[in-house]
Amino acid sequence: MITAYVRLEVRRTLRDPGFAISTVGVPVMMYLLFTNLGADDSAYRTAAMVGMAAYGALGAALSVGTGVAEDKSTGWLRQLRITPMTPRQVVTGRALTGTVVVLPAIAGVLLAGGLANGVRMDAWQWPAVALTLWLGSLPFTLLGIGNGYRLTAQTTGVVNVACNLGLAVVGGLWFPVALFPDWLRALSEATPTHRFAELGVAVTDGTAPAATALAVIAGWAALFGAYAAVSYRRSARAV
Amino acid sequence: MTTDSPQDPAVAFTAATKTYGAVRAVDGLDLTVRQGETVALLGRNGAGKSTAIGLLLGLDEPDSGRVAVFGAAPDRAVAAGRVGAMLQEARPVSRVTVRELVGFVARTYPSPMPVDEALALAGLTGLAGRRVDRLSGGQTQRVRFAVALAGNPELIVLDEPTAALDVEARQEFWDSMRGYARRGNTVLFSTHYLEEADAYADRIVVLDSGRVLADGTGEELKRAAGGSLVSFDLAGGPTDWLGLLPGVTSFEVRGDRARLRTGDSDATVRALARRDAVRALEVAPVSLNDAFLALTRPPHATARTLETAR
Repeated sequence: MITAYVRLEVRRTLRDPGFAISTVGVPVMMYLLFTNLGADDSAYRTAAMVGMAAYGALGAALSVGTGVAEDKSTGWLRQLRITPMTPRQVVTGRALTGTVVVLPAIAGVLLAGGLANGVRMDAWQWPAVALTLWLGSLPFTLLGIGNGYRLTAQTTGVVNVACNLGLAVVGGLWFPVALFPDWLRALSEATPTHRFAELGVAVTDGTAPAATALAVIAGWAALFGAYAAVSYRRSARAV
Repeated sequence: MTTDSPQDPAVAFTAATKTYGAVRAVDGLDLTVRQGETVALLGRNGAGKSTAIGLLLGLDEPDSGRVAVFGAAPDRAVAAGRVGAMLQEARPVSRVTVRELVGFVARTYPSPMPVDEALALAGLTGLAGRRVDRLSGGQTQRVRFAVALAGNPELIVLDEPTAALDVEARQEFWDSMRGYARRGNTVLFSTHYLEEADAYADRIVVLDSGRVLADGTGEELKRAAGGSLVSFDLAGGPTDWLGLLPGVTSFEVRGDRARLRTGDSDATVRALARRDAVRALEVAPVSLNDAFLALTRPPHATARTLETAR
């Protein structure tokens, strides 16, 4: 039942041209642009690849919540409530949808890095980076779902874009944190996005991810998960 | 229609009340729908139809009283796949084809009907590959009907199912619905089209202010509202005696013409004949429309209801 639901929602997401453009097209374009404008620096090309793939995955994960809000306003969530699917299955299905729709974004930027930018890594590192980014995107799916259940369709769109840009920029997905002033760098350390990219970068370096990075991400995942659960419960009656 | 059986009723409201702020949307509702019946919930906007439907689908919980579907809590009946519904005011689901949508909903039920059958019943066979959000209003409505019956539920609940349909589409819709009811399924639909309730339901339940105002066949409702309409020209005569005529439950004067609603037209006409008030006399059965208005509308300036029909 959940599989059928995930299949339906993934189809609906992938058919949205706006989704493909903003979560695959834009990150790939920005990646190619940023890495080919400045000096030729292979370390930066690799780090930026991870950062932009993370950015794409972040946008895709948050968009799940935008979809939730849209379905709330059209009455589709209400219609789902009178099918034998339980509300819990619906939310789980949505979260699983998030884990699927982040894949094109990650794959797109990694492909651009390997094929267009000549990023070279050991064979095991490519799937490892993809897997790390894939798993690391879960907290953002939960954040998006929390927004989607709590807010109206329009507000969710705006809030998700704000979360997307804010977390991406402050987290250092667009520009290296090294360029930030000290206070912003300190703030950046605490963001889930920075730690998200840090995991990926560790894999490209061939080192184990830092324990603090894992701890910070786990903390945010717990927080966003609780936010999603509370928002969902609050809206369940109104949906 | 099933005869008396030990089966649980399909739907049972017992003194159910639901309040939104200061409004009692459903106010002590008692209503039982037996399995196999086709019942129309008839009422004006705001009469409590949609709230009652929300309660019986488990979308809302009553503040007090009880709502049971097939003898269990509504959400359990829904989870067991015994209920399908077509809700009001739903916009089409985006970026999905008709077949994908109906097929998905069917898969969530334990023993659905084949997708092609659901599409055929709803008249969607030719549109199966089209995207739901690119269909016309009437076609979208048919998709919602297909979604409601895809799971082959025993009870189907339709909240104003024909609101967006033209005459022809409406006819097709009811043909499909009757086909579904004939399989022994229970159908509960809300409407404010009286002719629809009269033509397609075994039983009409008139709701007003969240309560059952009348409950019976179309014929019974017409009788309850005062079975006939007697009209004649007053020729400038007085009107104060009209309400005192035998059988008359209410009357109305339009221009020079008196229109009497009566439960006993024979007695009324005899009394009029004795007074020689028979100019252009007409006796007609009340339409269900008249019956409905008599049941739900408070008397206005030119009409006086002597006794509220119940």
